Amino acid sequence: MAAIYSLYIINKSGGLIFYKDYGSAGRMDTNDTLRLASLWHSMHAISQQLSPVSGCTGIELLEADTFDLHCFQALTVVKLVIEAYPKGPSTGGAAVGSKLPWFSSCSAFREAPESICILCAVRFNGTKFFVVCEPGTPHMENLLKHIYELYTDYVLKNPFYEMEMPIRCELFDINLAQAVQKDRVTLLGR
Amino acid sequence: MQFFGTTEINPSPPAVTAGGNNAHMMYIFNRNGVCLLYREWNRPLRTLNVQQDQKLMFGLLFSLKSLTAKMDPIWYQVFLFTPFVIWIFGGWKMAERLIQYRDSLSSVEKVSLGVPQLPGQGCAFHSFRTNTYKLSFMETPSGIKVKECELFNTTLDQYVRGLG
Repeated sequence: MAAIYSLYIINKSGGLIFYKDYGSAGRMDTNDTLRLASLWHSMHAISQQLSPVSGCTGIELLEADTFDLHCFQALTVVKLVIEAYPKGPSTGGAAVGSKLPWFSSCSAFREAPESICILCAVRFNGTKFFVVCEPGTPHMENLLKHIYELYTDYVLKNPFYEMEMPIRCELFDINLAQAVQKDRVTLLGR
Repeated sequence: MQFFGTTEINPSPPAVTAGGNNAHMMYIFNRNGVCLLYREWNRPLRTLNVQQDQKLMFGLLFSLKSLTAKMDPIWYQVFLFTPFVIWIFGGWKMAERLIQYRDSLSSVEKVSLGVPQLPGQGCAFHSFRTNTYKLSFMETPSGIKVKECELFNTTLDQYVRGLG
């Protein structure tokens, strides 16, 4: 019995850059996976649009009868130094940050001298990781975070890898297989 | 996440409080995508007008249904669209209680009410959650007729408000 059925990684434009099947029924061909990945990308965007409150970052977990789908978005940290208005807290860095839509996810800042504000924004770079697993499988968020670490270590640091292109990195494949295997063993032992 | 140590702006909206357990909106669609009923209790953010919102909501449901039917790792599901669909937007507890309520009905009542016997049946997917809201939905194989009925409206309102 497989805890994880499949893993997808999609780039910021919704293109599938990595797909691995771990024992689903296996009736999906390459075209199907590409289509599903781009469909998920648009569903994710629409769910943000339909949120009744602000600050929605899209679907994190989709529950179906026979599987759960966990989605994780990769973060990028952008640091910027900008000049801010020196007078008063209301015109300080926080106010500037809130006025710029780009900085809506601004995470931390410090006004170093009076007139300079350092903004450090954390924003999603659009790369999404999602796993299809058995309903109620625990700790999938941790596994996804671990897969993201492997992606940064073995894909992004690979000098031959071009951004947004399909992932073909041997080290990533090996470590990913180990991570999934380890996850499966801990799940069986529980 | 804090980088410089002094002031921190939380990127996520305020945590779901008591108000967040209540429903935000509710939609009932028929199979042609016509919204038969729309109620809202708490909706601070509006990005689209009413028609576009309903159209987009129905489109999202329709696409998610076909996505989950295709993605299902266990067996091949025939993608059907059953007549009436009920959608409820709500907080965490709200969705749980609705599912409990539905499960607590006896099978005779379920048949007479046209309530699904299994969670989310008729379709593979029954809920999703984001960081700000949770969406649950169910389908009724037989029809529910929604009319402009005063009693229905008041009872529904009372029930949903009582859930928080």
